[in-house]
Amino acid sequence: VPEAAGSASASTATAPAATPALAGPPAGFVAPPEPKPDETNAQRAKSQPGNNAPFWRAVRESGVNKGTSSLPGAEQGVLVQPFVQYPGSRYTNAGDAWRQVRNEWIIPYGGALIVITVLAIALYFFTRGPLGGHEPDTGRQIERFTYFERAAHWSNAIAFCVLAISGLVMAFGKFILLPLTGTTLFGWLTYALKTAHNLLGPLFAVSLLIVFFTFLKDNFPNASDMQWLRKGGGLFGGKEPPSGRFNAGEKLIFWGGVFFLGVIVVVSGLVLDKVIPGMAYQRGDMQIAHMVHGVATALMMAMFLGHIYLGTLGMKDAFKAMKTGHVDEGWAKEHHELWYEDIRAGRIPARRTAPDDRPGQPAAQV
Amino acid sequence: MLLTRKPGHSGGHAGASDSGLVASLARGVSRAIPTMDRRAFLRRSGLGVGTGIAVSQLALVQKKAQAADAPASGKARKVEIKRTVCGHCSVGCAVDAVVENGVWVRQEPVFDSPINLGAHCAKGAALREHGHGEYRLRTPMKLVNGKYEKISWDQALNEISAKMLELKKQSGPDSIFIVGSSKHSNEQAYLLRKWVSLWGSNNCDHQARICHSTTVAGVANTWGYGAMTNSYNDMRNSKAAMYIGSNAAEAHPVSMLHMLHAKETGCKMIVVDPRFTRTAAKADDYVRIRSGSDIPFLFGLVYHIFKNGWEDKKFIADRVYGMDKVRDDIMAKWTPDKVFEACGVDEATCYKTAKTLADNRPSTVVWCMGQTQHTTGNAVVRASCILQLALGNIGVSGGGANIFRGHDNVQGATDVGPNPDSLPGYYGLAEGAWKHFAKVWDVDFEWIKKQYAPGMLTKPGMTVSRWIDGVLEKNELIDQDSNLRGLFFWGHAPNSQTRGLEMKKAMDKLDLLVVIDPYPSATAAMAAMPGKDSELNPNRATYLLPAATQFETSGSCTASNRSLQWREKVIEPLWDSRTDQMIMYQLAQKLGFDKEFTKSHKLVAGKGGMMEPEPESVLREINKGMWTIGYTGQSPERLKAHMRNMNVFDVKTLRAKGGVDKETGYKLDGDYFGLPWPCYGNPELKHPGSPNLYDTSRHVMEGGGNFRANFGVEREGVNLLAADGSCSKGAEITTGYPEFDHILLKKLGWWNDLSEAEKAAAEGKNWKTDLSGGIQRVSLAHGCHPFGNARARAVVWNFPDPIPQHREALYSTRPDLIAKYPTHDDKKAFWRLPTLFKSVQEKNKDIGKTFPLIMSSGRLVEFEGGGEETRSNPWLAELQQEMFVEINPATANDRGIRNGENVWVTTPTGARLTVKALLTERVDRETVWLPFHFSGRWQGTDMLPYYPNGAAPVIRGEAVNTATTYGYDSVTMMQETKTTVCQVQKATA
Amino acid sequence: MARMKFICDADRCIECNGCVTACKAEHNVPWGVNRRRVVTLNDGAAGEKSISVACMHCSDAPCMAVCPVDCFYRTDEGVVLHDKDVCIGCGYCSYACPFGAPQFPSNGEFGLRGKMDKCTFCAGGPEANGSDAENAKYGRNRLSEGKLPACAEMCSTKALLGGDGDVVADIFRTRVLNRGKGSEVWGWGTAYGKPTQTSLATPTTGEKK
Ligand SMILES: Nc1nc2c(c(=O)[nH]1)N[C@H]1C(S)=C(S)[C@@H](COP(=O)(O)OP(=O)(O)OC[C@H]3O[C@@H](n4cnc5c(=O)[nH]c(N)nc54)[C@H](O)[C@@H]3O)O[C@H]1N2
Ligand SMILES: Nc1nc2c(c(=O)[nH]1)N[C@H]1C(S)=C(S)[C@@H](COP(=O)(O)OP(=O)(O)OC[C@H]3O[C@@H](n4cnc5c(=O)[nH]c(N)nc54)[C@H](O)[C@@H]3O)O[C@H]1N2
Ligand code: HEM
Ligand code: HEM
Ligand code: SF4
Ligand code: SF4
Ligand code: SF4
Ligand code: SF4
Ligand code: SF4
Ligand SMILES: [Mo]
Repeated sequence: VPEAAGSASASTATAPAATPALAGPPAGFVAPPEPKPDETNAQRAKSQPGNNAPFWRAVRESGVNKGTSSLPGAEQGVLVQPFVQYPGSRYTNAGDAWRQVRNEWIIPYGGALIVITVLAIALYFFTRGPLGGHEPDTGRQIERFTYFERAAHWSNAIAFCVLAISGLVMAFGKFILLPLTGTTLFGWLTYALKTAHNLLGPLFAVSLLIVFFTFLKDNFPNASDMQWLRKGGGLFGGKEPPSGRFNAGEKLIFWGGVFFLGVIVVVSGLVLDKVIPGMAYQRGDMQIAHMVHGVATALMMAMFLGHIYLGTLGMKDAFKAMKTGHVDEGWAKEHHELWYEDIRAGRIPARRTAPDDRPGQPAAQV
Repeated sequence: MLLTRKPGHSGGHAGASDSGLVASLARGVSRAIPTMDRRAFLRRSGLGVGTGIAVSQLALVQKKAQAADAPASGKARKVEIKRTVCGHCSVGCAVDAVVENGVWVRQEPVFDSPINLGAHCAKGAALREHGHGEYRLRTPMKLVNGKYEKISWDQALNEISAKMLELKKQSGPDSIFIVGSSKHSNEQAYLLRKWVSLWGSNNCDHQARICHSTTVAGVANTWGYGAMTNSYNDMRNSKAAMYIGSNAAEAHPVSMLHMLHAKETGCKMIVVDPRFTRTAAKADDYVRIRSGSDIPFLFGLVYHIFKNGWEDKKFIADRVYGMDKVRDDIMAKWTPDKVFEACGVDEATCYKTAKTLADNRPSTVVWCMGQTQHTTGNAVVRASCILQLALGNIGVSGGGANIFRGHDNVQGATDVGPNPDSLPGYYGLAEGAWKHFAKVWDVDFEWIKKQYAPGMLTKPGMTVSRWIDGVLEKNELIDQDSNLRGLFFWGHAPNSQTRGLEMKKAMDKLDLLVVIDPYPSATAAMAAMPGKDSELNPNRATYLLPAATQFETSGSCTASNRSLQWREKVIEPLWDSRTDQMIMYQLAQKLGFDKEFTKSHKLVAGKGGMMEPEPESVLREINKGMWTIGYTGQSPERLKAHMRNMNVFDVKTLRAKGGVDKETGYKLDGDYFGLPWPCYGNPELKHPGSPNLYDTSRHVMEGGGNFRANFGVEREGVNLLAADGSCSKGAEITTGYPEFDHILLKKLGWWNDLSEAEKAAAEGKNWKTDLSGGIQRVSLAHGCHPFGNARARAVVWNFPDPIPQHREALYSTRPDLIAKYPTHDDKKAFWRLPTLFKSVQEKNKDIGKTFPLIMSSGRLVEFEGGGEETRSNPWLAELQQEMFVEINPATANDRGIRNGENVWVTTPTGARLTVKALLTERVDRETVWLPFHFSGRWQGTDMLPYYPNGAAPVIRGEAVNTATTYGYDSVTMMQETKTTVCQVQKATA
Repeated sequence: MARMKFICDADRCIECNGCVTACKAEHNVPWGVNRRRVVTLNDGAAGEKSISVACMHCSDAPCMAVCPVDCFYRTDEGVVLHDKDVCIGCGYCSYACPFGAPQFPSNGEFGLRGKMDKCTFCAGGPEANGSDAENAKYGRNRLSEGKLPACAEMCSTKALLGGDGDVVADIFRTRVLNRGKGSEVWGWGTAYGKPTQTSLATPTTGEKK
């Protein structure tokens, strides 16, 4: 019997008389609340201990309401990228959504667009052959592009080609090149091309700007362009409708390709390159920039494939114009009749640069 | 966790394109094309990461990477596995170090360890960095004209010892203060106390002073020993656990392994803290109290326990002294309204908490710095003891006072290390104690006495918390001849002591400053930093000596649960460092007491063939003398056998199930892991160690026990011994009994159980001083506890507040409570120094008007202590790159402060810290909290220029202790770090 | 065949960063590259919970699907690894990865990021198991030594479990049964698709819905 313990301090065992043996809970003692669907995890821990549903919701939302991590970095607190639906993707985390857009849309359809464009051009070439050659050469040369214009164009064109090829390898190489080369060789090649792409991009941006302003003046649309367009530019039979220095097709390329797509490609490319100061470059930014870049570059490539075709195989002596800067009067008459007439009429100088020692005489002077 | 093993061969490259020819082609090319390897990574990351490692330091990292990446292919290499123990906290996690040709190349988890089961927190997982030590001090250095210059060991030792002798001649041995270390092994800590004694002074101390001194004093005075009663493992048996003032998730992370397991099997976890800590995040209930108001809260619980009759009446009747007085005091003073007023916790919460603890017994209480680091620390911890005594939770598996200790070996260093008021083993400083040690050391007592200044042999020294005042205080006010003129920081950081501004002054005034540390840089930078020219002692000599770490020597360390673990030496001392025991020995040689110093133990060749004390033989010397706390059974052989056979120990009980050590044939069966002290008798007696203290349900030879008879047998007519029938299982004396000595043995008729040799040794001795161990052997054989069987004291009559009383902090924001709960009166000579209480509190009664926020500080999981060691570890440093202050969003808004902005934290000392604001609800509106691990910035300026070349840590920041205020515990001189005041302002510049 | 998976038990993780430094130390991962990190939600407020995240070695891995050079591969145990010799550092994997696992040694200006690095489930890379080259590029290959990931092995509270999906799910299930609590498994829905019969008793996942 404990009370019988002989020590003097045994009295500690007996409860003080003042306190009732069983006091009920004091005022203010409340039972835990009922669980509610929109509780925070803290509230849920009280209402339904162990049910962490609110926490898992927070995990899903950590892309928006970031958690914390002791590591420095903008996105270290994100457990799962935010859930989004990009055009063409399902509603899922941004990483996977981006992957869906890229792998299910940009790569297949972008690739298809380019392949179709190439095929269409090939078909055109083999069925109809190159344009032009209906006007005989006169032997008289007109200056079409100054040295500066040509330099600007070609540096831009070369950069474009490198970017396009490297871009294409990045996008499609693994389906076409990789099986042929093996991983390491392909990796090395792609690494070189990718680095070139990254470094050349900003240069392309600069040259594109120059090209734009250089050719801006003669690319403003005018009345004749409607005419030209209505007749399909004579591409599908009939005589080529008269046009100014640049025809409506070229102007379309200029405004649609150089200006509109060019700006989009350049801006998105510079984002991907992380060279625009003051941006956070979080994954979401990169995904969007990439998708924009991917779509715009695909369109741009398709468009410029046409341009390149016409500038090389597709039109007799067009290439020479950009190469030498001079065209034969006959060529000018056939393809840019209004321009030719303006020159003849002296409304436009036939030569804007000092004469060089090139063969042939500027015809319009006569 | 080894869950499954990888089958024989794991798939190579499974890519579609990688078949045959293509693959080999690819591989061939890959060899020709350089890839980005780790070194390249390093180079780049250095450029890419602004806050990263400074470029100048990258070269070091690269070299390190090279060393660490020692090839792993099949060439003939010597690979050894060395078992060691994490050096960062008292949990004591074991680590297997993989050493290849002398280089520490890997670290593997020790799944067999019953303590950590392979688990580690960040610090333990990054331990291998010690094998690199790139940011360590490499050679001895001396401060010359404000710059550290490399010197030789010989020059350093010669100059230091000459200066010491000069100071001794001029001002006596007490003019030098030795700050020892809780990072030392038991052997080193013990040797250091011996070293200081033979030098002739008690002026030595270590981290325990500013860590758990209040616990040690308060708890030991309550029931016998001032240590964690149970173990981390035993918490698996708890049904409820209340963490009050412990943030175990950050400070003792691996302990959470056991707690979370318990929680999953139903244990209720409660956290009581001013701050919503990571531990609180894991708890079932969190109670926010005002910093420094633990007593009102704890007594608020005890109030409900008594009011509802939840106390363990039989336990109290049998085993507790003074509970009736305590109860009366509490029922009168701590009614719910007063509790609410003082700590901010309402009646319902107190009731619920008390009920949880009462309904779910055994329940345990965990505490740490939140309780100890206060001017009332000794009383706070006793209040916790009273709670556990009232509930009958002491001496019960699953219950206990689980006092989580600090450093990896702070328990051991407290037990056997450099304490100013005691010789190793809590023997005290009385002549009898000295004579005991004269025998153990085999040194003439009179010779020792002569080393001391007259009358100083038995007088407790100053404390590490107050060395500043030992230097700065007016000479006539201090209780020793001379002021302090020389200081050794021998494994202790400067930024861990409060009142940093004054410390700088004290440091400048010294004649001699010696820092012996692998990372002495915080002290070094502080000493080299220009202060006021008028305050600088032109003759000050400052030396830095590179010490080896615990991984470069061997020895034992005592974890929080009192288990000893043996560390094998992992690698040779790096760079030009030397082990602490070697430095002690070499200094002793120069100072002329090397013979006495090493008489009782062996010397072995250490680094470079130089001699040093052999850890094993030092442990044997400890075994020989440390009867008081049962450090006698833990021979090196037994400890090593435990380390080799960790797998046989049960995780819940820590007890070995079977097992024979292959190397020695030693049978482990029945031993508790690490032979938690007390492990009585000599090793041959095979006492298994005591897993839970005061546990009467076990036989003493099975680790059982009862409360200690240390305070007499009777007080004011009240019996202090245990009640009849209350004794440990199988005891032949079933009543309370006093401690054993030769007289009691004779009275009991057990004297003849002693052998003749034992009788000769035991005559006139007691269980603590009988070097033969006979008295202990015989009492144990009769199932009795050598230290007697008494009651725990709820009333500690020899303390300033026998019944714990709440007293407001010296710097408090609550003048109303200061009026109701004023602090103590000032003391004149307390640990040799005048110590202020009331005068400071009175003067600062209204300080809350100018400094309205309570400032508290504590730990981050990644860093440890002053932090120089962990902030020099890039793997850890990366995880906490900036010093910050946690501030409630509302408080911040009032001051126009946004998250991440720089703020000034100012305190009444005049200190101004610039830190980052971290807005968080962790703290309430009245409180701010800062981590204390930073140093290297001083009131807004970077101290980098003052560091010894190449020895600056990776991360630097303001030290909170630059700004902390005055305030010390009324028993132990614990510094007040948890409750002071500050103001926070947006930094404009 | 074992299928390697990670579980991080948010009810146990205490944000001690043990896993993070274990990884750093085991593989000598440089400053700034974090194969693993710990994220805390509701930091400092009631309901605070942490999760340690690294590469989850997804079943239908987005990173793998978008890599322009196809340098990812999956081992027999379902570990998603990559070949640094082939990687061009384009960053696509990091855009695609739901968990932010891929890391780069450089900040990516002008697209120069260096070779991608990520958690290997401690399974090295394409070089010979345990070879110097493998160690230099990918760190240790613990799986080939019969060991499991360093991070999981050293986790201070055993919150982080890594290993055979069935086994870790079993351990976790036992815990959940002990607790009598919900069995949400961080990231499994996203990483491994809908749980199968064998993987968990109660098929509630964090990613469900
Ligand atoms: N990572 C890491 N681990 C360590 C250490 C380290 O430096 N770093 N150091 C080791 C050492 S030496 C020690 S002593 C231990 C310390 O371990 P702890 O004591 O657990 O750590 P602290 O953060 O100092 O303080 C614990 C808590 O006390 C709270 N507190 C402050 N004031 C009060 C109060 O008045 N009452 C109550 N109830 N609580 C209060 C703080 O808010 C804090 O959360 O950790 C050891 N482990
Ligand atoms: N404001 C505030 N201040 C506090 C605290 C707080 O919570 N708030 N906590 C207090 C507590 S509990 C403690 S314990 C202290 C801790 O503070 P300190 O103990 O001063 O801090 P550490 O940095 O751990 O210091 C240990 C030193 O020992 C060195 N060392 C490591 N191994 C060895 C070795 O083998 N030999 C030698 N010679 N040296 C070695 C390390 O490099 C390091 O410099 O801080 C106290 N200060
Ligand atoms: C300012 C100019 C440009 C910049 C800065 C730029 C930049 C980039 C960048 C950074 C990428 C991501 C891949 C990587 O990091 O290497 C990329 C991808 C790509 N770019 Fe560009 N780019 C530019 C112009 C172009 C142009 C003109 C084209 C083609 C017409 C092009 C086609 C592509 C393609 C096809 C991809 C790959 C998309 C994929 O793989 O999904 N880019 N570009
Ligand atoms: C290999 C690639 C290319 C070739 C072979 C090529 C060829 C040509 C040729 C021959 C012309 C002259 C047409 C004429 O005389 O009317 C021309 C004009 C022009 N090209 Fe290109 N080009 C190429 C790429 C580009 C690119 C990438 C751009 C811009 C993004 C571009 C922009 C222009 C512009 C702006 C003109 C002036 C006509 C106009 O404004 O519409 N070209 N190109
Ligand atoms: S610091 Fe403590 S808990 Fe962490 S690994 Fe080391 S001993 Fe274990
Ligand atoms: S977690 Fe990210 S990196 Fe890892 S396999 Fe999944 S998508 Fe790839
Ligand atoms: S960064 Fe490397 S691994 Fe990632 S998608 Fe690009 S090439 Fe593939
Ligand atoms: S599995 Fe290995 S590589 Fe991956 S995070 Fe863990 S330790 Fe790092
Ligand atoms: S080691 Fe474990 S408990 Fe610690 S942060 Fe990592 S997962 Fe969480
Ligand atoms: Mo401590």
